[in-house]
Amino acid sequence: MASLIVRKNSDSLNNAELTALRAGYAKAQTIMDNRGYNHFAGLHGIPNWYCWHHSHKQGSTVNANLFLPWHRAYLLYFERAMRDQSPAIPKVGLPWWDWTSSNSHSVGVPHAFTVATAGGQPNPLFKAKIVAPTSTPPINRFTRRFPGNPAQLPTAASVTALLNLTQFNDFTNQLENIHDFVHGWTGGNNGSIGGDMGSLGTAAWDPIFWSHHCNIDRLWYLWQLKHGVNDISPALLPMVLQPFGLKVQDVLSINALGYEYAVSFNRL
Amino acid sequence: MATKAKARKHAKSAARVAGAATTTADKLYRTSAVYKSPRKISVANLPSSYARADLEFIGVDHSGASYEARVYLNNPSADADTQAVEANGYAGSYYIFGHGGCFGDVGHCELNQTRDEFDPRPSSPLEPIKKVVVATDALKKATAQSSEISVTVVPIIMSWTEKTEMTDIMKFDHINLVTYD
Repeated sequence: MASLIVRKNSDSLNNAELTALRAGYAKAQTIMDNRGYNHFAGLHGIPNWYCWHHSHKQGSTVNANLFLPWHRAYLLYFERAMRDQSPAIPKVGLPWWDWTSSNSHSVGVPHAFTVATAGGQPNPLFKAKIVAPTSTPPINRFTRRFPGNPAQLPTAASVTALLNLTQFNDFTNQLENIHDFVHGWTGGNNGSIGGDMGSLGTAAWDPIFWSHHCNIDRLWYLWQLKHGVNDISPALLPMVLQPFGLKVQDVLSINALGYEYAVSFNRL
Repeated sequence: MATKAKARKHAKSAARVAGAATTTADKLYRTSAVYKSPRKISVANLPSSYARADLEFIGVDHSGASYEARVYLNNPSADADTQAVEANGYAGSYYIFGHGGCFGDVGHCELNQTRDEFDPRPSSPLEPIKKVVVATDALKKATAQSSEISVTVVPIIMSWTEKTEMTDIMKFDHINLVTYD
């Protein structure tokens, strides 16, 4: 029987899990076909622009905000691809970055993502190469990141207030606003240019992107625990999350998708 | 600016997003053109009580830089150096995760206005959006002192690319004031 993939807090990964995670990212970053990191990063913004933010129409007159469902499907496909490239044991899920934690308010981006090298090798969680030959101009460089003052990161109180919102549209819009802030904060700038997390076109190449969105997905899950998995407009349910073969109705239950969020997990 | 009432909302908003206000001294943030409402707006027709008041920014452009938009009531002189605190009329902020400019060929980022309801493709990701600032406390304070308000919106640019225009990044169509019981 297959067990659920466990997604843990990035600060809770043990050494073996962190090593396995890095091995998966590192190998995926060397693959340029549709199994690789560059392919998945390129689905969000440059050059494919599939990502869903705010409200749009798609094949109907429904003005739909599919920000949360679309990114849930996106993470699911990316996570599976990374696990394909990681060692058999331990198989780790995507870790989430809790930007409300006391550690984040002290150091900002988690340590696992900020060291340039790990185990004598370049740290694949620190930066990744953007290869986008069809953009104008073509891009072929490593990601850059200039995060802001850690004290500015969202607070636990703001998340508590968020989880108390009762309407899906209200919740997703306010969560997306927090998400937008964290993107701008993490990308930041060095006075002459911004970091990649701060621009939609290149954000998904920065390895912290996936853990930022994993936390967004976790907050949606926590909200669903309080307010119900099906607390979403029925008009959104049949909408297709392109380019993935999933509809909104397929991504409401994370257990049905094969993963869960855990504060701690130990294989005994 | 329009004032309207909408269906009941059962909860107040998440409070301020960021743990601490961004200041220009914190980081190399840049400023851009400030929006000031062109005239004082009468709020005499607001209901006598309400649980929540939203400032809705309609038709917000998000094609360029990522920025914070700080919203002040009755403080037309607010700028990037103004502390984002209640005493200065600070009502809240919305944040834009910008596209970073156009990285496509000529015409890639022009909005296609001709699509119809049978078009299976998603509408352009660059369609202008709505952003909401929950301004309940700030509005109550402002209207306790005056039957007119002004809105000032100060953009603080957080991140950008070599393709983003920087002098006038904040564009929106209009603002609604919506109250809920």
